[in-house]
Order: sequence, then C-alpha cells, then structure tokens
Amino acid sequence: MAGAIRIEGLSKAFTIRHNRADSLKSKVIGLFHKRFREERETLWVLKDVNLLIAPGETLGLVGRNGSGKSTLLKIIAGIYPPTHGKVILPRNACIGAMIELGVGFHSELTGRENIYLGASFYGLTRREIGDIYHAVVEFSELEAFMDTPMKNYSSGMQARLGFGLAVNLNPDVLLVDEVLAVGDEAFQKKCIARMERLRSSGKTIVFVSHSAEDVRKICDRACVLDLGSVVFFGDRDEAIDRYHELLATAWSGPDIEQY
Amino acid sequence: MFSLYSYRELIKNLVLKDLRLKYRDSALGFLWSLANPLLLIVVYSFVFGHILRGGPPNFAYFLMVGILPWNFFAQSLMMSTGSILENGNLIRKVALPMEVFPVSTVLFNLAQYVLALVVFFPMALLFFGVAPARSWLVFLPLLVLQVLFTWGLCFMAAAATVFYRDARHFTEILLTLLFWLTPVVYDIRTVPASIADAISLNPFSYFVLAYQDALFYNVWPSVERLTVIVVLTFAIFGLGLALFEMLKMRFAEEV
Repeated sequence: MAGAIRIEGLSKAFTIRHNRADSLKSKVIGLFHKRFREERETLWVLKDVNLLIAPGETLGLVGRNGSGKSTLLKIIAGIYPPTHGKVILPRNACIGAMIELGVGFHSELTGRENIYLGASFYGLTRREIGDIYHAVVEFSELEAFMDTPMKNYSSGMQARLGFGLAVNLNPDVLLVDEVLAVGDEAFQKKCIARMERLRSSGKTIVFVSHSAEDVRKICDRACVLDLGSVVFFGDRDEAIDRYHELLATAWSGPDIEQY
Repeated sequence: MFSLYSYRELIKNLVLKDLRLKYRDSALGFLWSLANPLLLIVVYSFVFGHILRGGPPNFAYFLMVGILPWNFFAQSLMMSTGSILENGNLIRKVALPMEVFPVSTVLFNLAQYVLALVVFFPMALLFFGVAPARSWLVFLPLLVLQVLFTWGLCFMAAAATVFYRDARHFTEILLTLLFWLTPVVYDIRTVPASIADAISLNPFSYFVLAYQDALFYNVWPSVERLTVIVVLTFAIFGLGLALFEMLKMRFAEEV
C-alpha cells in the first residue's frame, strides 16, 4: 500500500547498566573489584512488532506503563534505531513527532523567539516559519505575550504555545505522545477538535494515549501493546476493552534478561 | 551531513540564541568577550616582555596574532564537549541531524572571534604601528581551514563525551598543555631544537605559525607549512566526521 507505514519484525533492546562505568576511573576500578564492575542487562522493550498503518488512518496506541508505546513512537520518528526489524515510511513523507510539547523552548527567550527557534528544530526554513507564525499565535491565544520572555509564562501558557506550534508544523505523518492533557478544559477541547480536523484532512496519525475516551473520539483503529508485544490490533472499541482487561491484571514489570 | 543544509535555519537560530543569551541584559554586551583576550595580551606582554625581557619587538601585536585564533580554537573545543550531552533532552525527543550541535558551537565561537578581530585589528593599526601587507590575504583561507580543522576535533570531542564523561576533563588538561606547546607567547625562532620538535607534534602550532608569518612578519607562509595545514585539516575533519557518523545513532540512548 503506497503511503502506508510498515513496521516489520521490529524489536528493540535497551542495555541497562548497573554501576554505570561511563568514566574511566570506574572502568579501571571495575577491573579489580567485582562489586564495582559494570553489569549489563538487556531489556527488551519491543518484541517482534508488526503493524501496517494505512495512509490517512488515525491509529491509537494504548497499553500500560512500560509497554513500549513511547519507544515505538520514537523508533517510527527515527530517534532510536531498531535492534531488529525495520520501519518503512512513505517516501518523502514529512514526519512530525510530538513526543513532548515545547521541545527546545528556552525560558529566557520571548514567545516570538521561541516559535522561531522551536520550529527550526523540525527543519523548517525561516519563510516556512513565517507562514505558520500567525496560526501558532492565534491557536495559542497568546498574542499579547509574544514579546514576553517565556520564564514569565505559566506552565499552561507554555503548553499552549507548544501545542499551537506542534499542530501547525503540517507534517504528513503525525506522531503524538500523550500531549493532549494540557491547559484547561476549554483548551483541551480545542486540542481534540484540532486533532479531529487533522484527521479529517487525511493525515496519518499515530496517537499514544492513556485515555480511552480520547482514543474513542479520535482514532479509527487501535493497537494494544503489553510488555513490548502487540496483544491486539484492530477495532477501536475492542482494543479499549482489551486495554481495560489488562489494566485489571497485575503488572509484572518489564522483561529483563541478564547477560 | 547533507541534510545539514536544510537545517540551516536551526543552525542560525542556535548560534543567535547563544549570542543573545550570553549578552542579553548585560550593560557592556559583547564587549565582555573582548575583556579576556585583552587581559591576556596585557598580562603576557608585561610578564614576558617586561619582566622576562623576551619576545620579538612589538610583542603586544605578536601576542594578539596568536591569542585570538587560539582562543577561538580552544573555546570551541571546550564548549563542544558538552554540545551533544547538554542537548540530551532535545535529542531524545526530536529527530534531527545531530551534527547541528557541534557545527553551531564552532560557529558561535567564530562569530565572537570575528567580532574580536573587528575591534582588535583597527586598534593594532592605530596603536602598534602595524601596516597591512599583501600576505594578509592568506588569512581568509587559513581561517576557513581552521574552522574545518576545529569542526573535525569538535565532532570527536562531542561524541567522545557522550560515552566517556572524562573526555571533558581530558580536553581541558590537553588544551592547557597545547597552549604552552603552541608558539603563542614565545617566538618559535628562540626555542631550542628539541623543544621545537615537541611543538611540531602539536597540529595547531602550524596554524599559529602561519598566522604569524602572514600577519606579523608580513611574509607568505612557506608551501610546506601550508601543505601540512591542508593535509592535517582534511585528515582531522574526515576522521572526526566519520567517527561522529558512526556513533550518532547511539547518542539518543546514551545521553
């Protein structure tokens, strides 16, 4: 399928280090004292994940804490390399990852400076930023604060500016990681409405959430991850049921394999 | 590396951000960045020129020719050790070409260096009786080579610090050693042969010697010296970039 995101046999291992020897001294001491030796464990955060995300689809990604949702999102975004398997993205697609709002904002800079700085982290040119500038200001409703240093913003205001920027970056594929829970209720409604608009404009969206309600509102299909494996992939409502079942069971912690 | 061009806006913004943050709300602004080299020139010319009675005539100008490029080099390298590490939060959240961080660190220091040159050189012409010569033309290509050379080393330092935090302290010590192994405060012509050999092991000394040839002695640097500089620059740049490219996939997990 052209324009689809294909995830094939994707696994991801993180190396957890105890007594992390990231300085030479600890490395040298570790040679002589077992107690100080670096011990490594492999943590399989994702195990053989296969997904086909259709173009224009809004996919919800749900699961308990530590199930690998955020890691999956970061691998799709190209932040982490996969350990095994691959992610095939649509050709020439612009991928927008909203892993966190307001990434790169600096508290000493004004709102305007932060919009220009923040947007350039996503590879936008000056002209492209100029084109979206007014939309960002309008969405965040912070017109009067554009020349105020961000350190004088409330956390809600910072989040508004961050969200306003994120939704105006206009990527073809939008990866969203639980960033909707910002601002007051009115602003949250506005965010959800904006997501619905992006969805109806034919963008592919992968949406990580803990809120069954948001998934029901926005998503077409959903995927349930648990301990790094896909336990369900398909109908949204069925996925939410499976997710609730999982929440009722005890959490056994992530899989650690010592070596 | 090729995607860097499409991130030129980010590189520009990172440099501007650092410049703005450094001088915002300070009354003297960028004049502060002149205070350090000015103080060094005054102190060294007093200690080495007047107390130890060494150095060539017009010693203050001699010092200036060496100290300004040295400061650009040393400050870039020192700052680059943190350029990936200190942006860890960003690197874990946005997919971007990570070269932008060491690249913009060097450009930030280049901007300060150029500002210092703009102030110091007219001063030299006015107060030290220095007259421009044809050989000054070689300054620009040397500057370009120095930027490439510094980028190469900064790629190495930035990547190394991600895996070994010691790299920062090591760089600091190494720079102190290199400073005295660079003929900035003394004339290479006055040192014994054995020490000159040690100095020739320091790659940066070739740059300073070429700057002194062109700007202080008003002669063209020798072809051999220029060849060494070009070869060193491309070797270090290539090596640094290759190392960085090899390791950058792991940065997001290590920072």
